[in-house]
Amino acid sequence: MPAVEMLGIDKHFGAVPALSGVDFAVEAGTIHGLVGENGAGKTTLMRILYGAIFADAGTVSLDGDPVRFADSAQAIKQGIGMVSQHYAIIPDLTNLQNLLLGAEPGWLIRQNEMRAKAGVLAQRMGFSFDWNASSAELSPSGAQKLEILKLLWRNARIMILDEPTAMLSPADGDALFASLKGLAEAGATVILVTHRLLEVVSHCQHVTVLREGRVVADQPVGKSSVGELAELIIGRAPATPEHEIPMGDGGVQLKLSQVSARGYRGDLALDGLNLEVRAGEVLGIAGVDGNGQRELFQILSGELAPETGDLIWDSKTITNTSVRERLQAGFRLIPENRVEEGLVEEWSLEENAALGAQRQTPFAKGPRIDVAGRREATEQIVSKLSTKHGGLGNAMSGLSGGNQQRFVAGRALYGNPKLVLAFQPSRGLDVEATSNFYRELHALCRSGSCAIVVSFDLDEVLENCDRVVVMRSGKAYQPAEGEDHDRQAIGRLMVGAR
Amino acid sequence: MKIRHWLLATAGLGLILGALYLAKVSPLEAARTLFQGTLGSASAFSGTLRETSPLLIAGIAVFIALRAGLFNIGAEGQLVVGALTSAALGLRFPGPVGLILGMIGAAIVGALWALPAGLIKAYRGGHEVITTIMLNSVAVFVTNAIVAGPLRDTSQESPTTRMLSDQTRLPWLFKSPALEISSGVLLGLVLLIAFASWLKSYVSGYELRAVGANRRAATLAGIATKKTIVWSMTASGAVAGLAGGVQVMGYTGRFYSDFSPGFGFNALGVALLAGGSALAILPAAFFFGMLAKGSAALQILGVPKGTSFMVLGVLITVFAAVRYRKASMESAS
Amino acid sequence: MTWIWNLLIGMLAGAAPLALAAMGGLASERGGVINIALEGNMLIAAVSTALVAAATHNPWLGLAGGIFAATCLSWAHWLLTQRFLMDHIVSGMALNVFAMGAANFLSKQYTNPSAGELPVLNLNLYFTLAILLPFAAMLYLKHARGGLRLIAVGSDPAKSRQMGIFPDRVRFLGLSATGVCCGLSGALIVSNARYFTDNMTAGRGYIALAALILGSWRPIPALLACLVFGLFQVLQFQFQGSQLLGVAVPREVWFSLPYLITIVALAGFLGKSKVPSGLGRY
Repeated sequence: MPAVEMLGIDKHFGAVPALSGVDFAVEAGTIHGLVGENGAGKTTLMRILYGAIFADAGTVSLDGDPVRFADSAQAIKQGIGMVSQHYAIIPDLTNLQNLLLGAEPGWLIRQNEMRAKAGVLAQRMGFSFDWNASSAELSPSGAQKLEILKLLWRNARIMILDEPTAMLSPADGDALFASLKGLAEAGATVILVTHRLLEVVSHCQHVTVLREGRVVADQPVGKSSVGELAELIIGRAPATPEHEIPMGDGGVQLKLSQVSARGYRGDLALDGLNLEVRAGEVLGIAGVDGNGQRELFQILSGELAPETGDLIWDSKTITNTSVRERLQAGFRLIPENRVEEGLVEEWSLEENAALGAQRQTPFAKGPRIDVAGRREATEQIVSKLSTKHGGLGNAMSGLSGGNQQRFVAGRALYGNPKLVLAFQPSRGLDVEATSNFYRELHALCRSGSCAIVVSFDLDEVLENCDRVVVMRSGKAYQPAEGEDHDRQAIGRLMVGAR
Repeated sequence: MKIRHWLLATAGLGLILGALYLAKVSPLEAARTLFQGTLGSASAFSGTLRETSPLLIAGIAVFIALRAGLFNIGAEGQLVVGALTSAALGLRFPGPVGLILGMIGAAIVGALWALPAGLIKAYRGGHEVITTIMLNSVAVFVTNAIVAGPLRDTSQESPTTRMLSDQTRLPWLFKSPALEISSGVLLGLVLLIAFASWLKSYVSGYELRAVGANRRAATLAGIATKKTIVWSMTASGAVAGLAGGVQVMGYTGRFYSDFSPGFGFNALGVALLAGGSALAILPAAFFFGMLAKGSAALQILGVPKGTSFMVLGVLITVFAAVRYRKASMESAS
Repeated sequence: MTWIWNLLIGMLAGAAPLALAAMGGLASERGGVINIALEGNMLIAAVSTALVAAATHNPWLGLAGGIFAATCLSWAHWLLTQRFLMDHIVSGMALNVFAMGAANFLSKQYTNPSAGELPVLNLNLYFTLAILLPFAAMLYLKHARGGLRLIAVGSDPAKSRQMGIFPDRVRFLGLSATGVCCGLSGALIVSNARYFTDNMTAGRGYIALAALILGSWRPIPALLACLVFGLFQVLQFQFQGSQLLGVAVPREVWFSLPYLITIVALAGFLGKSKVPSGLGRY
């Protein structure tokens, strides 16, 4: 009797089929991996299990009994707990409050009693917390531990973890898996949603592979290797990365020298960072999330001013120039969140195309908007990465997420920019669009421009960038001579092991 | 428009009709009286235009701020200080000189009255709704104090300034015993057309709209969002002050205590009703002008003057429910 | 000695309607609903209390009527913001304008001039509640399940939903409490004067909101801010007509002080305000 059995699950979002006839069964006391690419349907399937959304067809059973959840509250009552990729920890609350929220014992919260019980629970897992401290002070791994305690507090027998190691260093990740192993041995059912195949092979007993909303494999892990799984996920052998010889003779275009800057919480996010980018090269910034990548992006875009240090572009010091001046100099941005930071959804594609270059030709003729020029530019932008749309004058909100990302990326590549700053540019793009993007980027750089790509996906960076640099604790680290595409060496740099 | 919007509109209409019923006035009678009182004769039409004029200009003022994502509830106060300024300058410098100075002064003081709100919002994040409401109250107190003190015409019983001379007034475009049209209306129209075309065709208009639509994306597009916020609030205040100047120099000829019967709130209604199109401010202002003019006639019929505010509230609600929705909750990620 | 005592009483009298309304604002905003309609709530409560008390000759029913009216208006705000997803500010303004009109309408339509003075409750009831409610609110937020959920929903409604909480249900209760508190405030205002006049709330709903902001959305600091504003009101009476540096200080200066202080506070000169992170979010 499987602890969880989902049969024949269908789910559509509008016309897009997210899941088609998915069967998914998990045995109690195991760690079961659920893998697939971005958009394969893993998170959707789990959200159905957790009661956050409804399936269009299919059944869900727990220990053989069919269930139907109207909302997450019911799923929680049945012992299902989910730790999502972005922790559901509310920074304004204390650790104790976050632990209790939604599962308070009664209408009155007896602080001392609850603190004691929480302490006991934490000790069982080998964790310790200051229960009165604000959760804003938690590190990613601390938040992760609190999330697990939350599941235990609610007597979750079935735990869904969605990309749990995304924000953790490899050492913290190992500790997490040790805890999970202990929980599974005690009888819990753990579902691990991830795209990190090494984790699956090392820690899971069973794995299910989803591709484009369908199950393509469901087997014990002992029989699979990383390569095999990768092939199943993308449906063909992964391409051996080609490395174009970078324009070694390109001079240094961009130089960051001893740059220090504070993040919005006042902490030192960049700490004497040194970085160089040569003309013609695509530089990849690898690293675990939370090591200063965002602040680096903000320093480069001009949003954030460094406390100390200099930025030099094309031999000129640009440390205190504004965003507008940098855009004028030929910088183009692909921000992390396309909707919140790069688009106006109510506006048409044409109006969105001008964002960032609204003062420059062909979008403007002097102080006036050049409507014809703008339309032509928009046509070129949408054709760059084959953005599917219903008309240039239609609202951006009509485009799917993936097409919006194609639009934003295409816009950044338009107009012969001198420096392309991309933060997770392939977010929302499928494999084909991603490779098209990098192909266009490299073509652009061959004519003398350069690019910086920040990504939390080490494989993407290794495969597509000419050179890789690792960010850790606000500094940039170069891999040693000859190891610049060595996955193991770079992984060690990411955690500071040597 | 989804079903629930129709339901809301119906509920709102029901409230208004219910009020009319309680006032023992038939809707047909009310509509007829409204029509008669606003459009039924040349003089009625003049009166309607007179009510429309400040609402048109103040409506433009609120609209400017709205485009930048700001709620300028302070149009009320900015209008009032602008009005007082124009009266003071017009009395000090009689004649066409005073007229010009008065209008310019009204705009400048109105701008200054909005400036703190703009600065606080841009650089401190203090919500402009609260600051402008506060400034409104201070404006009323200050202007009432001044008109009861230094600028008071002691020959009158209630606090008011002296009358401006005829040469210090805005010229009439058309004046006959029946029909009066002030050039203030023309000023409003010119302002509207200039503003609408600027917003649509100029890069700076685009940038203003970007700040209002998505402030973060605007920052990353190189737009100076903080400066834009300050400028748009200031411009909004200037236009609102100008509306006050037109009111004094075009219509009343003087400033008196409790000058504004709620122009500011009505202007907000006008701007919201206009929705996304600047040119729609004109019909919206005319509609509210009709309501304002007609309410006097309706009062004679037995409909209390509060009814027009009830209508305004319902209208703002229905239009805003359709237009000012937050992002929907269902997000497929 | 009696002079100080009178000052304190006057301060309390001025602060009480503000404190009651501010607690109403707290119940709303701490849960993430921006509510600038306190003024409208108070006004509609005042006119309803007056009309019901006059019609039934029963001050308790009058109070009930006032509370009911304010709660209905609050529920309308809930409906518009949580179901129609309307902008919170616009909804608040629309309701204020509507309430202004409705209050005028009802008072003109139903006030019986020959009815004599309004039957009212002992004002001390309201004064006591005005002081007790902030303390009760503080304890509630800290120790009650409902208080924790309100804070959570006001900080991050999306994450709260993940934990199985329904933000709109929590906010419904919050807005109901807003209605009750503003109802008490409006009832106090009309009971103090013993008859209803147009716009008798005179912007105090906005001042209450200002006090809430000054108090960083915490009950006791907000109460203190209300007391300070109450003090200004008393001082205005004390110093009316007196001279400062040889110039007669018009009473309008005193009237303006609460508003000016709020502006200064919002400009950040009185320390940083901790805004509920989930204000206006879903």
